[in-house]
Amino acid sequence: MSQMPEVRLAGPRPFPPRVSAFSRPFWSGLARGELLTTRCRACGALGFPPRNLCRGCWGRALDWVPLRPQGRLYSFTRVHVAPEAFRAEVPYAIGLIDLDDGVRLMCRLVGEVGAGDLDQPMEMVVLVHDDGLLFGARRHAAG
Amino acid sequence: MSERRAAILGHAAVPIGQHQRVAQGDAPLEHELATGVVLDAMAMAGLGRDHLDGVVVAHPGDHTRQGYFHTFLTAHLGIRATGTVIQVLGNGMTGGHAFDTAVHQVTSGRSDCVLSVGVHFETGVPTARHLDYSIRLTGDVDYQSVFGAVPIAWYAMDAQRYLHEHRVPRAALASVAVKNRAHAALNPLAQYRTPITLEDVLCARPIVEPLGLLEVPGRADGAAALVIVSEEIARESGRPHVLVRGRGFEHEGLHQLSDRPADALDYGTLRGASRRALAQAGLSLADMALFQLYAPCTIVEVLASEALGLFAPGRGAQAAADGLTALGSRQPVNTCGGALSRGHPPEVTPLYDVAEATAQLLGTAGPRQVPDARFAMTVCELGKYNASLVHVLERAA
Repeated sequence: MSQMPEVRLAGPRPFPPRVSAFSRPFWSGLARGELLTTRCRACGALGFPPRNLCRGCWGRALDWVPLRPQGRLYSFTRVHVAPEAFRAEVPYAIGLIDLDDGVRLMCRLVGEVGAGDLDQPMEMVVLVHDDGLLFGARRHAAG
Repeated sequence: MSERRAAILGHAAVPIGQHQRVAQGDAPLEHELATGVVLDAMAMAGLGRDHLDGVVVAHPGDHTRQGYFHTFLTAHLGIRATGTVIQVLGNGMTGGHAFDTAVHQVTSGRSDCVLSVGVHFETGVPTARHLDYSIRLTGDVDYQSVFGAVPIAWYAMDAQRYLHEHRVPRAALASVAVKNRAHAALNPLAQYRTPITLEDVLCARPIVEPLGLLEVPGRADGAAALVIVSEEIARESGRPHVLVRGRGFEHEGLHQLSDRPADALDYGTLRGASRRALAQAGLSLADMALFQLYAPCTIVEVLASEALGLFAPGRGAQAAADGLTALGSRQPVNTCGGALSRGHPPEVTPLYDVAEATAQLLGTAGPRQVPDARFAMTVCELGKYNASLVHVLERAA
């Protein structure tokens, strides 16, 4: 399982996530370069974000598993009119990534990205802010 | 046993605009704006306060000050009710629920005459601060809002995907804004009435790429009221009225995004909800004289028209460019100018849409009148059409 590379972003996270006893493994995983989620022990379904139940079968027994940090860009937008909290980031890109493991998620996009990147390979990265970590994606280095 | 039917006997709304943001102060308060539309709608219905036995209020969002607005407003109006007094919330569907709940009060027999009313204020709050609030609504606050996903960003990603997947000319999508502005020019309630060109739309500054300023909703306040009564009361009134013939609802069990790769351009809940509404009415899509679709962005109107089955997937934008949704076509869409130009005070947008459909069916839509309109469909949604609520309305004979 490949580790996610780190990308340094200036300043604190604009709108930091909450961390609970349940969700802590996800955020701790980022520190090790891993993108974790939960998989249902009963039906094997993967989802994102991690959940304390399987939304497919309502199974309550779930395992933390790493997702392969590669996928393709399904779509994206660049935001020019932003919340106050994100004023320093404008314009910023966010997109939908279809991971090779069959999971779709939304995240910040870093580096160059354009309409020609739809359906092209992307890699997940760890975003290192002054106050903590988030996850993001960029064009695949080899792509 | 079939339920009894409900009718729309009165409607009123203020012109959409920046009511809360008045440069020198003296902006109206939420209940002050509501007062006028309630009295106007009741006057149209020819009913007095003592006829009302229910009040359903659209939750006014985060930028009004008065809490428990439904009981405050009911008290302000001096209404005593034995059916219900309730405030409802359903994201972009809030105004739709205010209508739907009032209708259900009547069809269930709990009430005979219900006021459905809402006020939306937001222009007193700067856009960036409003967005601090609204990113918490349309995403998972811990895994999506953290990236600054403003509500219309989700629609923008649909637009990007649509252009990519269907190789649609950019101008075809933009044409929806031009069409809606032309409709709004004929609507005294509309916020933006000055005609625009395709070039204006394509050259507007970017907001959420690929959408620019004229393909996303402006910031707006509004207030609207409907008077919903039993069919019997409506008939006895001798006044023109509109019957609620069908209702459909569907929620797909998702909040904005499927976490499995799937076709994000398929607004499937609308297909399901519209079929249910038509089946209940015993009608088909072809019977509709017009459609009022909740569509904050150009792409949303296109995808909703495709989900309804008006156009094949990938054909909606070109159909709009070809004039197939404009006034004068067989089944025009958003004759009021839609959320883009009529205006979009989200919590009450669906009330304005029902009011427009009602005016069209009553033949009082003035220069934007669809000739001899008998049936109309109204649609509202929440999330990214994660849920749809559809009503089929009919001009009473």
